[in-house]
Amino acid sequence: MAANGTNGSNAAASSSSDAFTVKAGLAQMLKGGVIMDVTTAAEARIAEEAGACAVMALERIPSDIRAMGGVARMSNPAMIKEIQAAVTIPVMAKARIGHVVECRILEALGVDYIDESEVLTPADQEFHVAKADFTIPFVCGCRNLGEALRRIKEGAAMIRTKGEAGTGDVVEAVKHIRTVNSEIARAKAALASGGELAVAALAREIGADAALLLKTAELGRLPVVNFAAGGVATPADAALMMHFGCDGVFVGSGIFKDAKDPEHAAQRARAIVKAVANYTDMNALVDASIEHGTAMKGISNAGMKPEERMAGRGW
Amino acid sequence: MITIGVLALQGGVAEHLSLLQKAATSLSSSPDTTTRADTKAPQFEFIQVRTKDQLAQCDALIIPGGESTTMSIVAQRLGLLDPLREFVKFQNKPVWGTCAGLVMLAEEASAVKKGGQELIGGLDVKVLRNRYGTQIQSFVADLALPFLGEAEGPFRGVFIRAPVVEDIIQPARQIGGGDAETTTGTAPVEVLGVYRKPSGAEQEDDDIVAVRQRNVFGTSFHPELTEDIRIHAWWLKQVVDAARHGDLIVNA
Repeated sequence: MAANGTNGSNAAASSSSDAFTVKAGLAQMLKGGVIMDVTTAAEARIAEEAGACAVMALERIPSDIRAMGGVARMSNPAMIKEIQAAVTIPVMAKARIGHVVECRILEALGVDYIDESEVLTPADQEFHVAKADFTIPFVCGCRNLGEALRRIKEGAAMIRTKGEAGTGDVVEAVKHIRTVNSEIARAKAALASGGELAVAALAREIGADAALLLKTAELGRLPVVNFAAGGVATPADAALMMHFGCDGVFVGSGIFKDAKDPEHAAQRARAIVKAVANYTDMNALVDASIEHGTAMKGISNAGMKPEERMAGRGW
Repeated sequence: MITIGVLALQGGVAEHLSLLQKAATSLSSSPDTTTRADTKAPQFEFIQVRTKDQLAQCDALIIPGGESTTMSIVAQRLGLLDPLREFVKFQNKPVWGTCAGLVMLAEEASAVKKGGQELIGGLDVKVLRNRYGTQIQSFVADLALPFLGEAEGPFRGVFIRAPVVEDIIQPARQIGGGDAETTTGTAPVEVLGVYRKPSGAEQEDDDIVAVRQRNVFGTSFHPELTEDIRIHAWWLKQVVDAARHGDLIVNA
């Protein structure tokens, strides 16, 4: 056929941009999917059979981390290995904010993604992990656009809203995606009205890298995949977050917390997968909501003390 | 008007739609197309496919990258597996699968989840999922793809937890083992691309990363994660040619 070489091979891409393509690319392949927190190989199998696009391996789901108190750390590698052996879908694991060595251990374990997560007790009160230095990709939480772009600047290849993990209350996740969306709208408006200088001024205001903010304004969305997380408990919650423009959904405690038995957990998992894949189809959402059954009891955000909130961890 | 669908159950849908659009623009301005006396430049419509009705509108289909287990389970629960098999194997419409899409289009897959995985089939090949291991082993490499034209430069192949074709199922071996419904049986599986590992690698044999059998095309890697439109443009042209030669009856 005719050559389209003029638009074609830009083979000169640098190796660092190749590395980021591969990291961000896995997140792109997760879009439209549900990533489920699992604590055992059996739970991981339930998630895989329900159609989860990945699992997050951790010792305790966030609602139980809340209930137990104490210091929450990286999970035992033995448990992560069991989950890796049980499923063929990607396996993610959480490291404490700023804990470079936990991240290196997870990288050596060969997990597919690291979540540098506020759900665990932070290890560093000043710095997040320098994520670009790793071969393994990272996902990080955010409450606003500035925080998202700071994490991307550090090398995160995927973003999620923080929400408020382990509560089953979606209100904080909604607040965070609304904030990100309205700040992206501001960046677009700044670019349209005042060009790059206006974007640079906004970058200073929100504490973001100017080049990344410019890219965001041009794209009209975050430059990496953005999932919802933190309080998504029902098919309707998951569809709500898709409605706000999230690329997919993390479900932490919502599958296994207060489930009557493994079959009920499996039903919930299937229902949330269905809701995300068909989030604009209300008949599908009716079916998914019926299949889901009773949701976790949950904790209302309105009654929480500031020190009980996880979303404030990280900077 | 040729309608091209991208299966939108999960995965990298927007990336394909974006490159299809760019490739279509390039084709319509390409001298090769416009100088042909018999026809005007092709017009395309690109749609997302989540339902049987949307699939029925399509003259050709891309199955994107994503998680093949998720795609398979969601397709099954939406009642889409049989319509997809009909589309690929009986209507013989052009279909291209990338990564997870290649897995879905294979007659057999290994390293699948416990209990196996439903496939669409259409390519008489066995794919090995996650050939290179976990995400740490994902990579980008230059591929020589002669089907793009001998003078073309290499293509940056993005391999993410990628599958490869580990075996071409010969018709003789298919008896009893293959899918009895396969109608692609006699058309040969053409190997269109291999990944040649760097010398000194543990296993130096080539991996098959691009195949075609009649109307079905599959790649292990993700052209949709690059800015390189050449494979999308090539595939669109295959679709146009099939329509011109009457191999494909285009919906009105």
